Parts: sequence; structure tokens; C-alpha cells
Amino acid sequence: MIEAHKLSKFYSRGLYALRDLSLSVGKGEFVFLTGPSGAGKSTLLRLLLRQERPSEGDLIVNGHNLSTLSRRDVQEYRRGIGFVFQDFKLIASRTVLENVTFVLEVLGVPPAQQRRRAFQVLKWVGLQHRVNAYPRDLSGGEQQRIAIARALANDPLLLLADEPTGNLDPDLSLEIMNLLREVNAGGTTVLVATHDRELIRLVGRRTITLDQGRIVEEA
Amino acid sequence: MRAIDYAIREAWASLWRSRGASAFAVVAIALAVTVLGALLLLTSNVERLFAQWSSAAEFSVYLRDDATSEHRGAIEALVDRSGVAAGREYVSKAQALSRFRRDFTELDGLTQGLDDNPFPASVEVRVLGEAERDGRADALVQRVARLPGVADVRYDREWLGRLAAGLGAVRSVGLTLVLIMALAAGVTVAAVVRLGLYARRDEIEVMRLVGSPMAFIRGPFVAEGMMQGGLGALLALGLLWVGFVALGAWWGGQLSLLLDGATLRFLPLRLAAWLVAGGMLVGAAGGFAASRHAA
Repeated sequence: MIEAHKLSKFYSRGLYALRDLSLSVGKGEFVFLTGPSGAGKSTLLRLLLRQERPSEGDLIVNGHNLSTLSRRDVQEYRRGIGFVFQDFKLIASRTVLENVTFVLEVLGVPPAQQRRRAFQVLKWVGLQHRVNAYPRDLSGGEQQRIAIARALANDPLLLLADEPTGNLDPDLSLEIMNLLREVNAGGTTVLVATHDRELIRLVGRRTITLDQGRIVEEA
Repeated sequence: MRAIDYAIREAWASLWRSRGASAFAVVAIALAVTVLGALLLLTSNVERLFAQWSSAAEFSVYLRDDATSEHRGAIEALVDRSGVAAGREYVSKAQALSRFRRDFTELDGLTQGLDDNPFPASVEVRVLGEAERDGRADALVQRVARLPGVADVRYDREWLGRLAAGLGAVRSVGLTLVLIMALAAGVTVAAVVRLGLYARRDEIEVMRLVGSPMAFIRGPFVAEGMMQGGLGALLALGLLWVGFVALGAWWGGQLSLLLDGATLRFLPLRLAAWLVAGGMLVGAAGGFAASRHAA
């Protein structure tokens, strides 16, 4: 699913965020990316979301070489990727249901299918009873579950999560991780960036540790 | 089709959400379109009157007081043989006086105490449009002017030329002004649309991350600009109509007199439709320029 070969990302004055990184993530895997702040976890996720281009090396995801994608190809590529962020990125002015249907609408899904699919994923994350609530009315855990539902709405092959439990207490964090494990059990490849070692230990999956832009440990 | 439907719904919602700023953009477009509309209103009417006056060309041969019936007969014979006239009419001194009194009632007093009728008799000749254009009318005027019994011949076409030149100058200056104002209106729309873009930055970020097509991302902003442009143009047409009606109510009589009985007309429907389309185009251009920041 993900192949990185001698992947580097640097900014001006030789500041490397990632350096000669090579890794492989198979289809259907659940992988943690961990490491201290500034290790390069978020940079790798930004490259995988194609928010940035690699400076050197290759990054191939599901057959797409992310260094050479055109703008139109980037749109097509992103339709196969789900994302979850620490700050949820929910739209405050839209209800729970609208936050999910919105994504489907802007991808051109017909209205009847939008609602059907939205109810399906909201039921799956256990929030079908809050469809008319606004994000401000929900707890942090509920908001992250909505974000996961939104990420799943388009049935992605790969789910990227950047510190998804960063704003949650330990119990809610575990709840979200269990939800991500269920997503993975459905066949979706999941890549989670987190610095929460305890959570990684509890979930117990493949873990890649980064430091100063390089892989320093893989377990 | 879904992208268009989405763009219109979102644009309308955004227009309503930021109605204060949108009103500002609508007024900017309305001002530009009002100037353009006023210019078109003026030029279309002047052009119509110009064509009317050009086709109704005539010259007057004023007779000396001592001109005889033979003199008059010679003049009329020359006019008839020339093939230039569409018709002619003899106006006697008495008819000229009564025509003056009828047309200028407020000046009637001036003619009351006169011992003699100061108005000359004349032969009014209606010229064929073709003869007016190919110069035969000018040649006839010169020949008639040399005949005995003729005091003067009035065939003043220069003012029509001056009017055409003046109209051209007004059109050039007006169009320059309209272009500047349209640019300013486009920039205003772009600024207002960018405010909407800022308000929807979270949505746009999500749209970009899920791989939404550009039509969905930029479409609402183009549609919003287009709506502002359309509303501005409709407002301008409304203002022009009110102004036109007011002008007719207050100065209609004097204008009719000044224009020799001709009436002014409002912009034709097709031109009004073009104005609305133009306003929408300027608005859409502003929205499109602003939406680049969303891409």
C-alpha cells in the first residue's frame, strides 16, 4: 500500500524534516508512527496526503507516485484516503449529519446515497442519535468519532490519523483506538501518528519510531 | 449539474451570511452599470434622433420682400427639375408669422406692436436622403442661392456633423470611465468574495483534503460574484428607470420642444439584458479571481 524509498523532505537552509526514509506498509496493516515532537511524523502524513511534495526519493501509495502527481491526479488520489486530525476539523456551522454528507456532496455523490451512507457510518461510530447536533454540542470523543465517520464515508483504502487522541483523556483515547482497530479489521490500511507510548503498548501493533527525520526503531 | 446546484446554494447562503459586505459589492457594480447604462441611454437616443434628423433633411429658401412671383416660379422650377426634392412647400410671410406665434406663444407679445411683418416668405424643400448623402442637395442649394429674389438659403448640416463628433467623444470618455469603474467593481467583488472564502476556510480545507473537484471548491465563489453582479446590474437598471421616468415627468415638455417633438426612449430590452449579463460577467470575474486563493 505504501512504499517509501530514500524519501527526504527538506526546507530552506538544509533543514531536513525527513531524511533517506525507506519503509513499506502492506495493504490492510495497522501501523503506529511515533517519536518525539519534530521527529517527522506529521511531515510524513502531510506527504502521504500530498499536502507537500517529497524533496527527494520516491513515495508510492496504492500505485500513485506522489512526486509526479498532477493537480487533477491529486484530487483523484485523495478520494481514496481518509484523514483524522487532532483538532477534528469539523465544520462548526453544520450538523453532525451535514458534516458527513457534505464530504459526499462535494465528491458528487447523489443526495439519496449521501444520506444513506452518512447514517451508515454514523451508526457504525455509535452516533446515529446525534445527527442533528452541532459539533459544539458534542464531547471531544464524540467529535473525533464524527471525524472518523466522515473519513470513512468515502470508503477509503487508507486512513491517516495525526495525533487523533491528542485532545482526549486516556479512556476516550482507547475508545478511539478501538474504533480505528475496527476500521482496520474491515480491510482499511491505518497509519496513526502519535507520541502516546502507553496507547501504543495497549493497542499493540507494528510501530515505527522516528527521530530527527530518520527511522530509529521498528517493532 | 450537481456542482452547479451546489455552487448556487452555497453562493446564496454566503451572500445572505455576509449581506452587509455583499451589499457593498452590489452597490459598486450598480454604480458602474448605472454609468454605462446612462451612457447607452444617451447615445442610443441621440443616435436614433440623429438618424431621424438625417433622414428628414430639408432646406429653406428665404425670399426677398421684393421677390416677384416669377422669381418664386424660377426657384420652384429649378427645385422640381433637380430630382433632389421629395417635396416642397411655399410659406408666405403671413404663414411664417402665424407659425412663430403658434410655436413660441410666450414670445407672441414681441410681434404685437410691429407695423410690418418681419418674417420673410420662404420655399421649404424636403430633400431625398440619397441626394443629401451624395452631395446633390448641396449643389442645388448653391445654385438656388444665386437666383434672383433669394435673400438666403438655410441648409445647415454642419451641426449634425458636430453632433456626431460630440457623440463619439462622449462615448470614448464614457467607455473609459465605465472600464475603470468595472475594474473597481470587480476588485470590490473579489475582496468581498475573499471575506466569504475566509469564513469558509475550514470547509475549503476539508474539501481539498477529500479530493473534491475544483468545480465544487471554486464554483460557489464564482456564482457568488455572478449573483452580486446580476443584482448590481438589476439595481442599476431600476435606478436608471426611475431617473428616466423622473426626467420625463419634470422636463418632458421642454425636452420635446427642444427635440422638435421627438420623444426619448428607455433602453431596449436586449440592451438591458446585455447590461445584466455584463454585470454578472464582471462579478463572476471578481469571484473567479478571488477563488484562486481556495485552489
